[in-house]
Order: sequence, then structure tokens, then C-alpha cells
Amino acid sequence: MSGGPLLRVRGVHRRFGTGPTAVHALRDVSFDVAAGTMVALVGRSGSGKTTLLNVVGGLDRPDEGTVVIDGTDVTALDEDGLSRLRRAGVAYVFQTFGLIPVLSAAENVGAPLRLTRVPARERERRVALLLELVGLAEHARQRPGELSGGQQQRVAIARALAASPRLLIADEPTGQLDHETGMSVMALLRGVVESEGVTALVSTHDAVMMALADRVIRISDGRIEGPAGERVGAAC
Amino acid sequence: MRGLGWWRARRRWRPPVPHWPSIRGRARADTGPLVLAAAVVAAVSLLAGAAPPLLRAAADDAVRDAVRRAGGDADVLARGNWEPDDGPTGGRVRAPRLAEDLDDLRARAVNELDPALRAALRPPVALVTSDILKVTDGSVLRTFQLAYFADDRGPGSGPHVTWIAGGPPRAAVPDAAAPAPYDGPPWPVQVGLSEADAEALRLRPGDRIPVQDARRTVKDVRVSGIFRATDDADPAWRLAPWLLHPVVGADGVGSTRLAGLLSPDSLPDARLAFDDGQFRRTVRFAPEPGALTWESGRAVGAAVVALKAASGSSGALDTSLRWETRIDAVLRDVRVRVDAASAQASVLLIAIVAAGVLILLLAADLLVHRRVPALVAARQRGATLPDVGVELLLESAAVALPAAVAGLVVARAVTPGAAWGWALPIVVAAAVAGPAFGVLAAARATRDWRVPANRTPRRRARHTGQLRRATAEAGVVIAAVAALVALHQRGILPAVAGDPAADQAGGVRLQASAPTLGVLAGALVLLRLLPFGTRLTLRRSLRSRRPLAVFGAARAAATAARVLPPLVMLVATALACFALTLDSTARQGLVDGAWRAVGADARLDVAPAGVPATAALARRVAAAPGVRQAVPAQLTDGVRIAAAATDVAPRLVIVDAAEYRRLLAATPLPDAPQLDRLTATADGDLPALVRSHDGSLRPGMRLELLRTGAPPVHLAAVGTAPAVGGAVDVVLVDAAAATAAGVLPAFNTVWVTGPGAARAAAENGAAARVVLRPDVLRASRAAPLTAGLLRLALVSAVALLALGLLGLALGAAATAPERWQTLARLRTLGLRPRDARWVAAGELLPAVALAAAAGPALGLLLAHLTLGPLALRLLTGQATDPAPVPPWWHLGLLPVALLAAVAVVVPVESRLRRGRRPGEVLRAGEGLPDAVLGRRSLP
Ligand SMILES: Nc1ncnc2c1ncn2[C@@H]1O[C@H](COP(=O)(O)OP(=O)(O)OP(=O)(O)O)[C@@H](O)[C@H]1O
Ligand SMILES: [Mg+2]
Repeated sequence: MSGGPLLRVRGVHRRFGTGPTAVHALRDVSFDVAAGTMVALVGRSGSGKTTLLNVVGGLDRPDEGTVVIDGTDVTALDEDGLSRLRRAGVAYVFQTFGLIPVLSAAENVGAPLRLTRVPARERERRVALLLELVGLAEHARQRPGELSGGQQQRVAIARALAASPRLLIADEPTGQLDHETGMSVMALLRGVVESEGVTALVSTHDAVMMALADRVIRISDGRIEGPAGERVGAAC
Repeated sequence: MRGLGWWRARRRWRPPVPHWPSIRGRARADTGPLVLAAAVVAAVSLLAGAAPPLLRAAADDAVRDAVRRAGGDADVLARGNWEPDDGPTGGRVRAPRLAEDLDDLRARAVNELDPALRAALRPPVALVTSDILKVTDGSVLRTFQLAYFADDRGPGSGPHVTWIAGGPPRAAVPDAAAPAPYDGPPWPVQVGLSEADAEALRLRPGDRIPVQDARRTVKDVRVSGIFRATDDADPAWRLAPWLLHPVVGADGVGSTRLAGLLSPDSLPDARLAFDDGQFRRTVRFAPEPGALTWESGRAVGAAVVALKAASGSSGALDTSLRWETRIDAVLRDVRVRVDAASAQASVLLIAIVAAGVLILLLAADLLVHRRVPALVAARQRGATLPDVGVELLLESAAVALPAAVAGLVVARAVTPGAAWGWALPIVVAAAVAGPAFGVLAAARATRDWRVPANRTPRRRARHTGQLRRATAEAGVVIAAVAALVALHQRGILPAVAGDPAADQAGGVRLQASAPTLGVLAGALVLLRLLPFGTRLTLRRSLRSRRPLAVFGAARAAATAARVLPPLVMLVATALACFALTLDSTARQGLVDGAWRAVGADARLDVAPAGVPATAALARRVAAAPGVRQAVPAQLTDGVRIAAAATDVAPRLVIVDAAEYRRLLAATPLPDAPQLDRLTATADGDLPALVRSHDGSLRPGMRLELLRTGAPPVHLAAVGTAPAVGGAVDVVLVDAAAATAAGVLPAFNTVWVTGPGAARAAAENGAAARVVLRPDVLRASRAAPLTAGLLRLALVSAVALLALGLLGLALGAAATAPERWQTLARLRTLGLRPRDARWVAAGELLPAVALAAAAGPALGLLLAHLTLGPLALRLLTGQATDPAPVPPWWHLGLLPVALLAAVAVVVPVESRLRRGRRPGEVLRAGEGLPDAVLGRRSLP
């Protein structure tokens, strides 16, 4: 798929509820993301960022439109297909970290590798490498409760990278962190896009963090704003 | 800062103000859990409210049943001396109006009765009997008695008879004006004989009966006529059955008693024929069982005790009445059994109430879990903690009180009453748990724990929590130990007999709560081990190659810190197992008790007339198809045995020792190998096996079997006798050895074993009363107290199992949001939906497995520790308190039910979330940090 966009979103609509109380969270959203770039998704609260990221990652289904990741039409996949996609193609980082509290940092990072039944030796090697990458080699045996928020998010990023995904989706990864820690997490994301060659789609409120992105997509009231539409072709 | 705020809050104290819209809104949002709590309150109130009145009704029935079974033993007797009949010039004057005097005595006796006692007794019968005379013809020991009845139908109004030869007795000396000299010839007296007695004596009207008294003074008794009873079954005859036919064994081994009936005309003659001490009058009141209740039984018992205390001594010479009865003992026995049954019932009720309280705590916990956001919102709105508490209290009271009232109203409708005492803890738990948990959660949520710098107070809070938990656990363990010790030292029966219903409502005794407290303590200890177990499993699964095991174990380890759900499951399962074991032990005990009561599959109690043919009867029965054994025996109660320094009155059993031993060996009755010792003679003494409740008969003793009119028989006690029937004191000798020693057995019993026993007994038992073991078993199962307790045990087991399953469901519901949130996160890592179900099951399984494995074990342990002192023997009729009989088959169902419930809960949970995509599930959990939810990550 070299040359083409890694992610292609076309005419996505998502409504919640019916009748007069229906919320039109996404309206005709279309955009492409080129492989190996880091794209920031920006918008006010309630503008539809989370909804869009969920639809893109297959955690939610659009009412209309298609999402194609690396040639795979995500919207056409059944549950098993989506599971397979998540094991290898798409990884998530959440605002609330989403780590398993009773497992150590290393075990959390290794969790996706267990699902893909990577042999223990190889798993351990990869976990060590990733923890090194996010700067937590010393904290491998600590549990999430014993780590700071920023450290927890770094573990979450390491976990997301474990299965070598092509697309990394992060929904406000710095939302629960103070500015400085947030910056370092954002910088880490920027770094892994570079070093691991992954494509990242990151939502954020923070203007400073946008500076780290290759490109910014603005969303407002469920619509992609202004120049984003023009760039659909240009980004290819 | 915090201190100041608190001070200001104190200054601005105002009474709590409930915010009605919040209350309504919350109730509407959580209708499900509230309805569930109401249902639990109603169900437990129904059970706990209905059981005491049912028990009271069973106690009423038990009193009636016991008095009915006691028969003549429960009669109330008044003895009164005769008015002196010494003439003014010496000698005794014939009193022609003696029958009227007797009616006066009867009226006097009625007047002396306490109204409560009188109401419980049938109209009295006045009875006059002579000393036992000896019939002087022939070699066999035969005895004779003169008897006269008068009930309140007027003089001479005994049971009706028809004279088939001769006529009723008349005055022997029609107009005896002259006094009878003290040392004159025997005064003549006429009696009527029944056909059977006349035939046995070979006498006709006009014949003289050859009798003499113990001092060998000859009496002049003549037959006036021969009668036939109009109604053999008239209860009056049971006072002197020998009037109707010869009765074997009434005066000791080998004796036969006969009797002559007096009339109002011959009664004065009879008096002159005997010395005053030889001729006695009594007024007998048979109890009216139908008129008795538990309550009136107590009044009757008290009245009888008072009557006996006020009654003259038997040595008194005046004509005052001396009262005798064993009805007080009968009532005392039944009271002991009622006390035992009510204590056993309260054991079960405590178990149900405790499990119900735990369920309500769990339900309250679940509700509060769901409500944290709403409570936080209420706090932000400006509600103080007391406001929140009062709002929650109003709500929970509005749920608990009507539910309890509904339960009690239903109880009232289906039973003779409803006791609210047992429902009280349930109502209190339902009303208070929710507000208490809610206020705690609101306080915790609004204290800011999210600031990382606040780690120290967080740790301190955790330590305080752990300390609190350890203290509570230690309290429960100490209470359990105290209850177990009290149970073993004092037993389950109260020192002073109490009212079964009042007892339930009032002070619930420590002893009765021993099983529940024991289970609770054991469960708490086991739950301490659960986190270690889950962590161990997690560590092992981390080394395994199965990812699902890792995630299941990780979730299980995360929820293992929650005590309440597994506690409810474990306690309910253990108590259900206890109730099932109680039930099966009692049932097995009844089977054993029926074996003990009958002594075989069937027993023939041969009527006195049939005794000579008993051996032939036994041979006939033995030859019938399907009969394994038919063993004839003589069972005589109350024989006189002179032992060491005392006389005892045990049951004498004469039976072929070898045959009896085979019979015992072939039945579940305990074997008695010492029966072999009976055939070897010891120094010419008749070898005997002995058994006594108080050690007055011991192997190694030399005993004498006393006989009326015959020399005593020397016995050598060579071993311990088996318990024969319900007798506690037994002397057992071999039939052949007895014959050799001059004691001719009069077999009055045949024990029959084998599948055809019942049929053979029925076909051959015309002359005998046939007692079938299945009938006895059925009757004792249907006995009021037993049936009530068995029913309560089963209902408790089912209710406890249901509560356990409810605990599983509630516990699962409480953790479900977290669980599916985690599963949604795992799905973002690529976990397949069907695998998610396995992980969910893996999370629920450790606690369920603990309950399934340790619950029955704990229940059995407590059954072993506490069933003994529960005095089940009082209900089953066994000789000793039975050892627990675990109902393995049913116990196996408990774990199966729990595991099956997991297999239902997980798919249901997953189905409930089927429409929800992972994105939605993940979104639902946002904004509620763990600290607010009260979740704690493991140290
Ligand atoms: N399950 C749902 N049902 C109804 N409406 C929903 C649902 N999920 C989202 N919405 C609505 O869709 C709109 C977009 O929500 P979304 O969470 O995507 O916004 P957001 O940009 O992520 O906001 P924030 O920055 O606060 O996270 C909102 O108006 C929200 O209320
Ligand atoms: Mg969002």
C-alpha cells in the first residue's frame, strides 16, 4: 500500500438516538491520513472527536460511510474480523490509560502479545524493548497503582505499540495529565511515530500539542472544518 | 483548612432537609434493586413470621399427641379412704349406700380440680378395686381382683353388660343389721364374671371362686352370673381389662390376672369382705387430648403440680383425697421435645435471617455502587451528609417496612398467626444498610483522594479499613467460639422451659446461633485466603500460554478484595448444607428410631388370650413366603428385679438368644454379640444381659427376678443387653435357659423380618396387634413436631440456596460494570467477544468455586460440631443423639447449582450488553475515577 493513504474515511455519519432528541455526532466526515504521519484531531468538547475515533478504530459503527485502513474496509468487518484487525493493525491509547490494575507494567505491555500467542521469550524481549523506548525500564515490575499518571500513560503507549500496529488511535491521551507531563507524553508519541513508523491519529484540546503534529484536522459539531476538506486529495 | 470547615459546619448546623425530587429520581432510576430488596425482605419476613406460629400449632398437636399416646399413664387419679364403718358396739357395719358414697367422692374430686385442669379432663369414673387375690386351684399362678365402676351416669353406671347366665351380683346378706365381727368368717360377696374369665376358671353361676389373699385368708366370693360386654371398646374397660378376659403378665412373669365385676348391691359386701387397706376406691379422670393446647398444657401441668403438693399423704387416715397422676411427667416430656424442636427451629431461622441480612447488605452495597455519581451530584448541589442519609433512610424505610408488613400479612393469612420478632433484624438491615453505605460512599467520594500528594492519608485510610475489618472478624470468631462452647456446655434446651413462640420473639439464645456464627466465622477466615488463592492462580496463569487464563485470573484477583459477595455465597451454601444435613440426619434418625421401636420389619403384639399359641403363630409366620425370620419373645414391662441394694423395674425380654442375635445381625439394629453368653449357665444362675439408664443394672451383678407367689429366680448379669424397643432398662434372658430355670416364657411378641413380613403378619395376626415398621416410620414422620421441623429444614435449605444464588447474581451485578469495562479494553487489544465471556466466567469462578467447595465442607464441619447438642434424639426416638448423616447426593447439587448459575449469569450479562459497542462501554466508565467507586488497587 505504499504511496496511498493508510486511512481513508469517506462520508461517515453517526447519529445517536432518533426523533427530535437525536444527536448528529458526525456529519459527512471524509478525510485521508498518509502513512507514517501524526495527525491531531482538534475540537471543542462534544464536537465528536471520540465518536470519530471510535468509528475509525471499529469500536463503533457509522450509520453511513466507510473507513478503510490499509486497504481493509473496517465498516464491513464482523466482530472476529475487527478482533483480528485490533490484534495487528490498530491500537488504542485512552485518556484513562485502561491498564489492568493487578498486572505489572511489563505484564500490561505484554498483554496484546499474549493474545497473538507470541512465544514467551520473544514477548519478554519485545516488552523490555518497548519499556526502554518509553523510558520505564526501571519500573517494569511496578503495578499501575504504583505509577504516576504520566508513567501509566507511557505504559499504555508501550502496550499499544506491542503488536506493531500500523495505526495508533489516541483519544486525549494527555487529558488526565498536567501540562508538562502531557507534553512529554505527546513528545513520546511523536517519537514513536518517527522510530516505529506508525501512523497516529490523536485527539486533543491543547493547542501546544498540535504543534507536534504533522497535520491538524479540526472538527466542530460533527463536521470537518475548513481546509481539511481541501487537503483530502493533497495529503495523498 | 479541613478542621475549620468542619467547625463552621458545626456552627451552621441545621436539621437535615430531604430533597424530594432527588429521592423520587433515584428511586425511579433504581427500581430494580429496590424491588429486589423488597422481595427479599418480604420473603424472609414471611418465612420468619410464619415459622413460630406453625411451631406453636405443632406444639399444640404434640401435647395432644403425647397425652393420647400416654393412655392410662396420663390419667389423673384421686384416692380417698373409706369412711370408718366400725359399729358403736364393735364389729363392722354394712353400709348399704356405699355406691352413693362413691358418687359423692367423685363429685368431691371434681370440685377439687382447678378449672383449667377440669377443662382438660373427661368426666371421671369412680373405681373400686380389691387387693390382688391368688386363685388357689391348679399349679399356674393366677390372680383375681374384684372391681366396681361408676361414672357420672349414676350408681352402677359402669360400661353396659348383658347377662348371659345368672344375673347381676346382689347383696349376699340382704338385710344385715348386725355388725360383722372383726374376726368372723369371711363375708360373702357376689361378683359377675365375663365369659372369658368364667371359661378360664371353669365356673358357673352359683360357684365359689377359690381365692385367698396374700395373708392366705380365704375369701368367700361367688359367681352371680356371666356377662358379655355390650361394647368391648368402652374406654372404661381399659381401667380393668382383666374383667373382660384373663391378662397375662399383669402380676409378674408367668401370672395371669382375672377379675369379678361388682354391682352397687354387692359393693357393701365386698367392703366387709376385705380390710380397709385391701379395698380401695379411686376416682379416675382421663384427659381429653382435644381440649389441650400448648398453653393449656402448661396450665394443666402447673395445676397438677399444685394439686399433688396440696394432696394428703398416702398414710393419712382421713377421707381427704390424695392425687396421683403421671400427666405432669408426660407434659414435661413433651415440653422438653417442644423446647428441643423450637431450639432446632430457631437454629434454622437464625441461619435464614443471617443469610437474609447478608443479602440485604450486598444489595445495599450494589445500590450505592450504582449511585455514587448521583450522590456526588447531590453533595455538589449542597446536600450535607445528614441530608443524604435522611433521604436514603426515607427511601429504604419506604421499601423495607411495607415489604415486611406484606410478608407478615401473608404469613398471617396462611398460618395461625405471625411473629414479627424474627423479621426485625431483616427490616433493620434493609432500612439502615443503604443509608449507612450511601453516607460512607458520599463522604469518601467528596473527600478528594485523587491528588497524588495525598498518598499518605490514603494509606492511612486503607490501614484503618483493614483494622476495622480485622476487628469485626475477630468479634465474629470470638462470638462463634463462645456460642459453640455454650452449646456444648449447656446444650440447646433451656434451663427453664419456655413458650415456643415467646422464645422466638424474645431472647434468641446464644446456643441456637452457634451454627450460623460458626459458619460466618469459618467463612470470614476462608475469605482471608481467597486473595492469596487468586494471586497464586494469577501468578501461575502468567506462566501459562493461555491468554484467557491470565485475564480471567487478573480480574478475579482484582475483585477478590470484595468480601461481601463471596461471603454471602459461602455462608448461604454452608448453611444450606447444614440444613440439609440436619434434615437427612433427622430422617435417618427416624428410620433408626422406627427400627428400634418395632424391632423388625413387623411385630405382632399378641393379645393376652393368644399368648399360649404365640410359638405356633411364629412358626406359621416364619413359613410364609418372603419371611426371613419370625422370632417369638416375651416382653414384660416393669418386672421387679432386686439388684444390689435397690429394686428396679426393667423390661424383661425372654427370647431365643441365637435367633435374636441373627435377627439383630440381619437388620440395621445394633448387633449384640454378648447374646452368645446367655446359653452358658453360670453357677446355676440364669444368665442375663442387662441394660439400665442409670447404671443400677451392670454386667457382673447378681440379680433376683421377684415373682408373686413363687420363689425369686437368681440371675447373673453376664453382659450388656441391646435396647429392646423404647425401653431404657432391660433384662434379657434366653428362652431355653429360662425354661430350665423354671421361668416359663409366655411369648407375647413376634418379630418378623423379610420382604413379606408385613403381609405374613397381617394374614396370621388375627389374634395380635400388627405393628409394621413402615407404619411406625410414617407415623413418626407425621408427628407434629417432627414433620414441622423436617419441613422447616427443607424450606430453609431451599431458601438458603436461593439466597446464595441471589448473592452470586448480586455480586456479579455489582462488579459487572467494571468487568465489562475491562473486557471492552481487552477487546481493543483484540480479544474476541466469545473469549470475553470466558474471561468473565474466569473472574466469577474463584469465589464461586470457593463457595461450592468450601461451603458444603464448612456446613458439614458445623453439623459435626453442633448437631450432637441439638438433641435430635428427642424427635427421632433414637437411644442417643445421632451422628450427622451427610446427604451426599443433595450436597453434590449445591456446587452444581452454583456453577450452573455462573453458566447462566455470564451469557445473560453478555447478552444485556450485546447491543453496546466497546466504544460505548468504554465511554460509560469515563469520568468516574476508581477512588470515587471505592475500588482499591491491590497493594
Ligand atoms: N451514546 C451516546 N448517546 C447519545 N449521544 C451521544 C452518545 N455518545 C456521544 N454522544 C453525543 O455525541 C456528541 C459528540 O460526543 P463526543 O464524545 O464524540 O465528543 P468529544 O469531542 O469527544 O468531547 P470531549 O472533548 O468532551 O471528549 C456529544 O454531543 C455527545 O453528547
Ligand atoms: Mg471525547
